[in-house]
Amino acid sequence: MLTTIGVWIAALLTLAIYSFLYKDNPVYKIAENIFVGVSAGYWAVVLWFNYAWPNLFEPMIMRGNFIYLIPVIIGLMMFAPLIPKVSWLIRIPLTFTMGVAMALVILQRIQGEIFPQLQATFLPLSGISAIQLVTNLLIILGVVSTLIYFYFSKAHKGVLGVFAKLGIWFMMIAFGASFGYTVMARISLLIGRVYFLLHNWLHII
Amino acid sequence: MKMIDRVAKMDRRIIFLLVGLAVIIPLIAPLGLPVDITKPVRDVFAAVDSLREGSIVVVSCDYDPGSEAELTPATAAFLEHCFRRNLRVYMMGLWPAGPELGDLALETIAPKYNKEYGVDYINVGYRPGGPVMLVSLGRNVGDLIRADYAGVPIDSFPLGRAVKSARDIDFVMTLSAGDPGVLHWIIYFSARYGTPIATATTAIMAPQQYPYLSSKQLVGLLGGLKGAAEYETLVDMKARAVAGMDSQSIVHLLLVVFIVIGNIILLYEKRKK
Repeated sequence: MLTTIGVWIAALLTLAIYSFLYKDNPVYKIAENIFVGVSAGYWAVVLWFNYAWPNLFEPMIMRGNFIYLIPVIIGLMMFAPLIPKVSWLIRIPLTFTMGVAMALVILQRIQGEIFPQLQATFLPLSGISAIQLVTNLLIILGVVSTLIYFYFSKAHKGVLGVFAKLGIWFMMIAFGASFGYTVMARISLLIGRVYFLLHNWLHII
Repeated sequence: MKMIDRVAKMDRRIIFLLVGLAVIIPLIAPLGLPVDITKPVRDVFAAVDSLREGSIVVVSCDYDPGSEAELTPATAAFLEHCFRRNLRVYMMGLWPAGPELGDLALETIAPKYNKEYGVDYINVGYRPGGPVMLVSLGRNVGDLIRADYAGVPIDSFPLGRAVKSARDIDFVMTLSAGDPGVLHWIIYFSARYGTPIATATTAIMAPQQYPYLSSKQLVGLLGGLKGAAEYETLVDMKARAVAGMDSQSIVHLLLVVFIVIGNIILLYEKRKK
């Protein structure tokens, strides 16, 4: 019974949102406002039960672990600019956050992204099939020409200009592929909704 | 008024209607267009097939209802394959709603193979913290996960006790709709602990994953609903994703026609000026 009610609510809200395709109307506005309200409530619950309670209040209240007051005080310093006399205090949490983020991100990005990606462009040009050779050459050419496009210390003229233009072509093809996939994604979402209406709600398919 | 002028001034709602019909009709009357299997999808299938029975697979549902249409079919097809191969599934999520959506698939597929909760599969729910959490998770799971998503202590389940660190995880499948997601799993988990990782992403994210396939940081990729349809075909459970492929193909064809017509009109109007 509860599932049926849920399916009906979801179906009617879906139709209410799609009614905007005809023109803006009060039914659409109601559905939109419900969505905003439910989202706000949902995130409040998520933040409380997944962040604030288990990581702060539960250790302090249930286990008497008051060491957690230190991050609370550092966190509250984020609001220091609201009081001009102590606004400088914001530097403490910002410095802390930047320090942790830099330590984590720099090391892992180099190890997990830059080096492996760089390594992936060191491709063999001999002892491979003709198709593989063309593929490898395209990858190398694509990486080099795109990097040259983003080299701004010298005017893009002569050989540099030719490579920069080639870089633009490679990027345009990449953007085209991205756009194609974006269209596919949007249509997939529409298919998902229509499938829900026809299968779960109307039981036609 | 010429035909071309009439088309140029056409009400855009007619386009919406045509797209709607192109989606609805093939769903009601399927055409059965073939689904070609691409290499990145075949690679995921082969990697899962090569795992020994009883291996632990982390299935990270890093998505929310906004991407449910694309990623739930991929989750279902992947779980089907895991349970058929007698792999143990450790479900979690970097997005709050992900594990709940994954659980719907889990609760449908696990009973088909008589799988027992806590022994063959477990859902530890949403794990906040992104990169920091993933680094800690690989080092010591117990620091982060003390209970499953229903609040039952993790040590009361055999599968919960079996996963202590990244060393106990044989494979990671992240069903990713954005940030945090597949990139974090690659950079902060796989690169650090060497665990093989595959992904199913929304179609929008799929092109960004190809460099990681090329560098072999990703074992394979299921891109959008098409990737899910390919996996459904491989595991022979033609369901939601395969059903949607006819509509997808027809709409793409329709959009190509629209683009061609749009360009013809553009050229015509330029010439008129």
